Amino acid sequence: MSRSVWKGPFVDRYLLKKAETSRASGRSDVIKIWSRRSTILPQFVGLTFGVYNGHKFLPVLVTEDMIGHKFGEFSPTRTYYGHTADKRSRRG
Amino acid sequence: MAIKTEPKVCVGVITGAHGVRGQVRVKSFTTEPADIAAYGPLSDADGKQEFSLELTGVAKGVLLARIQGVSDRDAAEALRGVELFVERNAFPETDEEEFYHADLVGLDAFLADGSRYGAVRALHDFGAGDVIEITVVAGGTVVLPFTQAVVPEIDIEAGHITIAPPTEIEVRDDGGTDE
Repeated sequence: MSRSVWKGPFVDRYLLKKAETSRASGRSDVIKIWSRRSTILPQFVGLTFGVYNGHKFLPVLVTEDMIGHKFGEFSPTRTYYGHTADKRSRRG
Repeated sequence: MAIKTEPKVCVGVITGAHGVRGQVRVKSFTTEPADIAAYGPLSDADGKQEFSLELTGVAKGVLLARIQGVSDRDAAEALRGVELFVERNAFPETDEEEFYHADLVGLDAFLADGSRYGAVRALHDFGAGDVIEITVVAGGTVVLPFTQAVVPEIDIEAGHITIAPPTEIEVRDDGGTDE
């Protein structure tokens, strides 16, 4: 069963506060968080969070498409390295 | 004088024979599996054997292919386990800010002051921007955003990158913060 709409999205409050101060400072810091359960809100867009996956903090740059998802979805707890062959990455 | 050889990239492996007419099963490591045959002739790890691959189909997650000069099952079976390589320069050119993982993995990472930071272990994309994983000299690994600000310089020919680790702020459950 999905979460009742009247409750609104769940987010750890301290996270919201920190995001606001980080945005106000205008610096591009990585905000290290353990709260994988928090929903990504529009206020977080443009910020980079380091989301803990049980081993390390994985950088999560929040974009508009991610609103409504949970932070934990972008920080997998298992990593498969595999072969890279012709894989490419773009420097943002 | 040492002869400089072109670096090679492993793009697949022969996993066994298929049928009795010399077809082989190939596990492809390329982003699009069928691209394994698109980069020209393949070779083994030593470069002693060359293979011309003609894809004939797919089966259970592997590609089926015919190799020139292999016409019976025994010959196909003998190739089981052979890794297939292409020369790195067979890959198409990338855009200015785009890099092949094969070029970056293994490069040394230095800080802006010239001290050694570690070596590139892998690059990932978990859906929130590309990230670069570095094995640090002090031990363990760190994952950093693959951005211009964090990785300002990449010199593939010289074999190193420059890292500017971002400032990290810890946010604790009790609402307190550490900078």
